[in-house]
Amino acid sequence: MNVLQVQGYSLDYATRSGFVRALDSIDLAIARGEVLGLVGESGSGKTSLAWAIMRHLPPLAREAGSISLAGKSLITANAAEIGTIRGRRIGMVFQDPSTSLNPTLALGQQLAEVLVRHRGLSRRQAWAEGEAMLARVGLKQPAAMMHRYPHEASGGEKQRVVIATAFACQPECILFDEPTTALDVVTARQILDLFTELQAETSVASLYISHDLALVSRVADRVAVVHRGRLVEQGAVDTVFGAPREEYTRRLLAAVPRPHHRLVTGNPPAEAPPLVEVDRLNVRYAGSTPLQQANRDISLSVRAGEILGIVGESGSGKSTLARALTGLNRFEGMLRFSNRRIGGLRDMDRAYRRDVQIVFQHPDSSLNPRQRVREILSRPITLYGGETRIEGLLEQVRLPVSFADRFPHQLSGGEKQRVAIARAFASRPRLVICDEITSALDVSVQAAVVELLVDLQRHHGTAYLFITHDINLVRQLAHRIAVMYRGELVEVISIDDLAATGPRHPYTRLLMDAVPPPREYAS
Amino acid sequence: MSDLLRRLLRTPQGALGLAIVGLIVLVALLGPWLAPYGPDTMAPRLRYRPPDAAFLLGTDQYGRDILSRLLVGARATVFLACVATALGTMAGALIGTTSAFLGGRADEAIMRTIDAIMSIPSLLFALLIVNLLGKSSFSAVMAIGIAFTPGMARVTRSVALAVRKQDYVNAAVARGETGGYIVLREMLPNVVAPIVVEMTIRIAFAVMLFATLSFLGLGAQPPSSEWGLMVAEARRFMHLSPWMILWPSLAIALVAIGFNLLGDGLRDALNPRT
Repeated sequence: MNVLQVQGYSLDYATRSGFVRALDSIDLAIARGEVLGLVGESGSGKTSLAWAIMRHLPPLAREAGSISLAGKSLITANAAEIGTIRGRRIGMVFQDPSTSLNPTLALGQQLAEVLVRHRGLSRRQAWAEGEAMLARVGLKQPAAMMHRYPHEASGGEKQRVVIATAFACQPECILFDEPTTALDVVTARQILDLFTELQAETSVASLYISHDLALVSRVADRVAVVHRGRLVEQGAVDTVFGAPREEYTRRLLAAVPRPHHRLVTGNPPAEAPPLVEVDRLNVRYAGSTPLQQANRDISLSVRAGEILGIVGESGSGKSTLARALTGLNRFEGMLRFSNRRIGGLRDMDRAYRRDVQIVFQHPDSSLNPRQRVREILSRPITLYGGETRIEGLLEQVRLPVSFADRFPHQLSGGEKQRVAIARAFASRPRLVICDEITSALDVSVQAAVVELLVDLQRHHGTAYLFITHDINLVRQLAHRIAVMYRGELVEVISIDDLAATGPRHPYTRLLMDAVPPPREYAS
Repeated sequence: MSDLLRRLLRTPQGALGLAIVGLIVLVALLGPWLAPYGPDTMAPRLRYRPPDAAFLLGTDQYGRDILSRLLVGARATVFLACVATALGTMAGALIGTTSAFLGGRADEAIMRTIDAIMSIPSLLFALLIVNLLGKSSFSAVMAIGIAFTPGMARVTRSVALAVRKQDYVNAAVARGETGGYIVLREMLPNVVAPIVVEMTIRIAFAVMLFATLSFLGLGAQPPSSEWGLMVAEARRFMHLSPWMILWPSLAIALVAIGFNLLGDGLRDALNPRT
């Protein structure tokens, strides 16, 4: 007997220019104790489906088909019935625990509320039960945690509370909407282990929504691939990922970064003099104590034409380093660029700025929405001279020349990021700092952008400082990997050493273990 | 642009505001041709007339036609209010954006100065400036412009602070662009939308402030038919003919309401989330 059954379900949203189809005749079913992974790129309708099941759709939505929970139709259920089902029989875990918890209520109150509302417990009973739940989701001090407010808990702790809330009423079905995407890799791994454990224990029917194919291949029993609101392919994980029938699934799988499939061949000449040398660099934000310092005594070097990957969790100081090197942050310590001493912001003259370019994470915010692509690309040319044509710049990043007259909002995320890359390469720089440039992109777009970067590197011999949290990606790309932890550089390891001897520092090992490479299938 | 117009007409306050402001602009442009009599034509035998067929809104203490005076005075009143607001807006936007861009101590210094100026009521401040510059329409415009600058600077800064954090500004800094380019070309175009809304609403205040200054005898000077001045002159004859004070006051109120509604409508229309 299927717990959740979706049949021929279609969803349209009314917009000013007519109805837009978000979901198109979706058929899926989840049995008791089963995990169905729902994968797809952003905008494919994954989250719309989750909200449709939760019966929380905007008034502009129009639906067709059926959704039923244990044989009872949810679409025809009235508001009172839905009220008793939501939270009681269907739970939901959201992407970002920092926005899904109410900042003005203690964590315990939010958890106890569910128990009082749905299981009719008294406040006192609910509180005791809540404590037991928190202990069960692996929180060390459940009693203290009940009294804390969301801002007093870490991201991982908050997500555990959200998960405890979802499991609190022993629902038949739980929807997980990218529950680990907003978390650091190590924390994400722990949350994932917790999910697997609770899933096995309670045999709840789970819908696990994610854009991360490698992750889904590990947690799900069956997988459904959505593309533009349509279910492209559905089946057992091994079948779908091992022998995909559809072209789209095949493309999606090919785009997943696999660490053993190197994109960059060979090493940069070992005897090449270092292009950048950083010695005991410190960055301090106003009002921070030495322990909270953003960057502490960072020393590293990048050779000409080398790709140095920098990995670490959020807040480890990766971006602070990038900002210091581009003159966006004050720093103390020694910085040497092609044997020139850069003591501070004053020494960053036009020549230095021409040679060191940066590409930011979000292409939406790094391109001025009020300027056309032509104007965006013409700035580096006006500033640094050179005879680079805008058409040439666009061709270099494989964009049509006609894009020169478009505004950024008329481009897709990947196209915008290409424009940002074209802008960085306009001055023929010797070092390009890529600050998480692929993390806002979908996996297939990411693969294309990475391929472009590799081509540009081969062509121009530019050195990259490639900052990312995607360990599989950086292992495909970098010559050496620098690992950062809480503002300090813990290890710099070359890719050959990594393959031969493995990581030396325990934190690096923890990081590598948290993100296992995607499963390989003999095809 | 046509899209903005459509969004504006979709809300009732936007449509009504646009209609009223359109009417006012039309009157300001064509007023002298629409007026049935000259604004200064006196008729001593037809003083204090209530509205009738010959004088639709009645006559004043010199027998001048009130309708004609209102139509001709619209230009002085509305046009000068717009100029004054535009002046204040431009100066304020520039100061606010620059302050947000500079940040740190400079920002602190600029904003505390602005706070100090804002603690003086704007009418009092305008009076002070008019007293320094002398009585005339020009000094009234300057006074209102300067009095509006701190408020606009504050509004602009709050928006510009968010823009300052955007990566395209960081990219410009990293590229080594000059401060002037970043403020004028990268930041200002992105703070325009909320400024336009604020400006539209402030025009209504400017009309009233301008009328107040004229009422106090510090703005437009007789025999001008500026509306505030008309109210000031009519005050003495209120008991002889209430119409004289009623019509210009209503006209001022209509302008204030029109621009306020338009501002509200624009706020909704320029907000992409609605």
